[in-house]
Amino acid sequence: MADRLVVTGLGAVSALGLTAEDNWTAARDGRGGVAVHDFDTGPHGTGVRSYPAAMVKGDAVAALEAALGRRIAGSLDPFAIFALKAAHEALGQAGLLGERLGDRAACVMGNGIGGLQTLEKGYERLFGMKAAKVHPLTIPRVMVSAPVSAIAIEFGITGPVFATSSACASAAHAIAQGAALITAGLADIAVVGGSEAMASPGGMRSWEGLQAMSETACRPFSAGRDGMVIGEGGAALVIERESHAAARGATPLAYYVGAGLTSDAFHWTQPSLEGATSAMRRACEAGGLMDGGEVLISAHGTGTPLNDKNEAAAIRGLFGADRHPVIATKSAHGHVIGASPAVQTVIALQALKAGLAPPILGYLEPDEECAGIDLVLGEARPIKATSLLVNAFAFGGLNASLAFRL
Amino acid sequence: MSGRDDELIDLIAEEALIDRAKLDPAAKLEDIGLDSVDLVSVVFAIEEKYGIEVAEDAFDRSDTLGTVLSKIDALIDAKGA
Repeated sequence: MADRLVVTGLGAVSALGLTAEDNWTAARDGRGGVAVHDFDTGPHGTGVRSYPAAMVKGDAVAALEAALGRRIAGSLDPFAIFALKAAHEALGQAGLLGERLGDRAACVMGNGIGGLQTLEKGYERLFGMKAAKVHPLTIPRVMVSAPVSAIAIEFGITGPVFATSSACASAAHAIAQGAALITAGLADIAVVGGSEAMASPGGMRSWEGLQAMSETACRPFSAGRDGMVIGEGGAALVIERESHAAARGATPLAYYVGAGLTSDAFHWTQPSLEGATSAMRRACEAGGLMDGGEVLISAHGTGTPLNDKNEAAAIRGLFGADRHPVIATKSAHGHVIGASPAVQTVIALQALKAGLAPPILGYLEPDEECAGIDLVLGEARPIKATSLLVNAFAFGGLNASLAFRL
Repeated sequence: MSGRDDELIDLIAEEALIDRAKLDPAAKLEDIGLDSVDLVSVVFAIEEKYGIEVAEDAFDRSDTLGTVLSKIDALIDAKGA
């Protein structure tokens, strides 16, 4: 039998906390991270606007500096800080800190847009302040591969290292790709996940322009839902060959058992039932999740009218009515864009381990359009599931579903 | 050392993420651990703070920190004159 792929470390940073465990306990206890924040476009902009957003709480830079034992300060954009912090935590849990990981290790992390905050500051100088120069390190801080380079440099990863980008599915593609590198024999171990920090004044205005943001809260699958709430953060998993983990005595947390990757080839912002369904079906078939046992489904669940209607129909259509418990943790940590699939996976794997599904927040009342799926509402609910399906359906029609088992 | 030099050393420590205690004016930049990427960040920050322009080849990594400080002092003084 081929070596299975085992998850041996988890890390997360979001509005729910600076560790994987803090993210899990906040989600479990229904303590959401969404609050109204001011976003100031500065002296050259049109002023301050306030939006609900899920901003990282606490000092991620200080936490990272304490973890690494040296200063980081402004040398990295926040999206790289979040990735590095989450990777450090995941490698710590996996028992892999303090050594260079070498050329049999890979790192694949996803993000949707790169170091937007650094870019915005640079452009404010250039276009607003009419400055002649931007910061000389603008490019290495902004580039979409900055987080994986930061992680590779920090932990001595000299095998395959690159970033994936597929909007809100970026981290799901990263996890699938990292696992595929191991399956293909190109690595024995991979640090995978994603990060995003686009809750900036320009980023928020851009989302506002798309009319995709809620004015109040993220209310997945609820009547009266009016859009997403933008979040920021990052999450990482350590995935390795089971024999590799066993040889070094690492504790398996769960098994990665497959992915379903599809494209709608249809529309920029409208989802497709076929695309979402086929991604879920492929992941479930790859991982043996269609065999009748209960599956915890971590829905894409953005709280937008269109996604939730489409995703509910896809889940209902694939599994039958009210078959599996459905959670939607973006209601707690916000939509962390490209990092969302990783943050959701880190929370949901802990839910699976605890046998407890975290509640969907912000829910008002049932919506006929989202009927026939078993939403976890009110408070955390005991579950029997030993397998997990994580959905990510991105703008531009890029779908990725991931399957895990205990 | 002038108050301005203290200020400059603070700024270098901040930008290059180097322990301030290592920033001895007699030490060469390369011995301090200031690499070329650190140097462009430091120069950028100094240009920002003092509104001066530093030529790309103004410093070499074999220069001492003291040499760098006096060249920057001269540029700032020239601007103020």
